[in-house]
Amino acid sequence: MHGVKRTRVSPEAAEAKRIKEQSKIQAYVALQDDVLASKRAKEYTVEALGKTNQLLDLNPEFYTIWNYRRNILTRGLFPESTPEEIVGLLTGELRMTMAYLRVHPKVYWIWTHRMWCLENVPLGPGESKGWRNEFWKTEFMIVEKLLDADARNFHAWSYRRYVVESLPASFSPARSPADELKYTSKKIESNFSNFSAWHYRTKLLGKSWAEITPEEVADEKDQEFELVTQALWTDPGDQSGWLYHRWLIGHNPSPQVLARELESIQELHKEEPDSKWCMNALAHYHLLSARLASASETDVTKHRAEAKTILERLEVIDEDRKERYRELASHY
Amino acid sequence: MTSAPPLDVPLHVKYIQQLDEKKDLAYHLTEHLRLNGVYWGLTALSIMGHKDALPRDAMVDYVMSCWDDEAADTLPPPPSSGAFGAHPGHDAHIHGTCSGIQILIMQDALDRVDVDRVVKFLLTLVGPDGRVEGDQFGEFDVRFSYIFVMVLSLLGRLDAMDTIYDGKGRQLVVDNIVNSMNFDGAFGSEPGAESHGAMVWVCVASLAILGELDRIDRDLLGWWLSERQLPNGGLNGRPEKLEDVCYSWWNLAALSIIGKLHWINRDKLMAFILGAQDLEGGGIADRPGDWVDVFHTVFGLAGLSLVGYPGLRDIDPLYCMPAEVTDKMGLRRDYRTLPRLEQWPQA
Ligand SMILES: [Zn+2]
Repeated sequence: MHGVKRTRVSPEAAEAKRIKEQSKIQAYVALQDDVLASKRAKEYTVEALGKTNQLLDLNPEFYTIWNYRRNILTRGLFPESTPEEIVGLLTGELRMTMAYLRVHPKVYWIWTHRMWCLENVPLGPGESKGWRNEFWKTEFMIVEKLLDADARNFHAWSYRRYVVESLPASFSPARSPADELKYTSKKIESNFSNFSAWHYRTKLLGKSWAEITPEEVADEKDQEFELVTQALWTDPGDQSGWLYHRWLIGHNPSPQVLARELESIQELHKEEPDSKWCMNALAHYHLLSARLASASETDVTKHRAEAKTILERLEVIDEDRKERYRELASHY
Repeated sequence: MTSAPPLDVPLHVKYIQQLDEKKDLAYHLTEHLRLNGVYWGLTALSIMGHKDALPRDAMVDYVMSCWDDEAADTLPPPPSSGAFGAHPGHDAHIHGTCSGIQILIMQDALDRVDVDRVVKFLLTLVGPDGRVEGDQFGEFDVRFSYIFVMVLSLLGRLDAMDTIYDGKGRQLVVDNIVNSMNFDGAFGSEPGAESHGAMVWVCVASLAILGELDRIDRDLLGWWLSERQLPNGGLNGRPEKLEDVCYSWWNLAALSIIGKLHWINRDKLMAFILGAQDLEGGGIADRPGDWVDVFHTVFGLAGLSLVGYPGLRDIDPLYCMPAEVTDKMGLRRDYRTLPRLEQWPQA
């Protein structure tokens, strides 16, 4: 149970609730027994499908019933249906799961059933993939709505990646990685703190940067630095931007970029002397600078000393993690 | 130093003993978690040193009643596979199988189950890209990879991974887990997914069981994990999210496996978990003042044990089972817990 406030319940109130629930419980248990009996008897009929509907309405987490429902469809109903009828049945399934997701957006089984439906859309009409394209179009709208409702729902983000990756080649309008990038920009601009969107961006850019020249990558990275710098200055206490900045710097940055970013963060540090994220970044980038092949011996000594000073200060201002800072500082 | 009340062991033992008595509507609606619930209850009791507070034989019989002889009810059925569902009449699933095997081992009753059939069931769930599915309907994520690895290890059958995909089964499963790692050193539920504390634990524990911990950047991951602790002492599962007692377990167990458990503030965390107890009815909630459940009770206790709360039994962070049990089986790995305190609050 998550986030449900505990209330004091008197024994009398508990008893009243129990009595009030009795008829509900009886009805639920009777329905459950009925559906499980049909399942054991391998009844794969329209009537059985209807009964699973009623049961899932009451309990969408009953995975065995979702399994039974899929068996009813594939073993009982699909074999006797035309492709048009199968499309109709699947449309019904999707409508049902959508209604459930509005109430239970984090129940894995519902998402699973939805994906199963999409993967079972038949080819057609005729030889075309028209139906499939129609279904996927709807999925796009739905996943946007769910992410509007909760921009950090990781089920919805995973589902979005799944939809994008599953689109048929004939899908129109074609969805490019650039469109997805635009989508993350929109999400980030409406809330810099949306780490889920920043994360997706690392995946999209990581892929597209593997396919262009180092010069082009450097240009695009500079734009990313500009975007994330805005986020850092807006709220230096929000770790989303800092994590993204660290990703942009990477393990093996160009010395010029690292020096430029170090300087820019030092400026922010002057404004926000107690921001631990800012100091964490400075310590890390100093240590990274000390490791550069181009670093002279004086550079190395200087950067390590700076890092050590910052880590010692962090031990005080971020006391909960003091052991970590102590351990890092002890290497130098 | 802190005003958090001490752990009320007798009250929590009683709470777990009575879980099966309150058959309200919610009880019926959560039947799909019943076998997991028994594992949570038994583990919680074991941590508190009261393993026998629930009758053993009835528990073992209940586990066996969850056996699904038609596991993987596909056409045609795979030969001789079998596994546990969440409750009698429920379909076999890797999650129920996980709890079933863990309980049987903790109760020293593994001889009741046909291990070969379980192994066969597990092997049918591995996809060609190394993903592990929960059952034949295709849902997959790294939680199932963990269960797959962990249960095979408990059964002493990790070598069975080498019998699939031309001897590449093990490599495929490991690669799929490693591909779920992100730039922040942490793991998401599948390749491409955002890092999440629970996924970090299952991935780190899987890699530890398989002896592949060198695939992890301990400093980077330790940083991400230690930043999960919020000023109120509780831990969250992702950046900029709320604290929750169950994350004490996911994040702490991972920190323990990579040897960085001392990177968080132990006392504040203890106080947070202790503050989430219901000192009237027993049990632990997701956060102070919320309704309790057995899930948060066990993970709160397991977290307290890892960071050294006095009087609790040791827990193995790879298996979430009493260390006594996994040690005896020769499964101990090189994890680090915090020294057990003499008393709480400290003098
Ligand atoms: Zn929780």
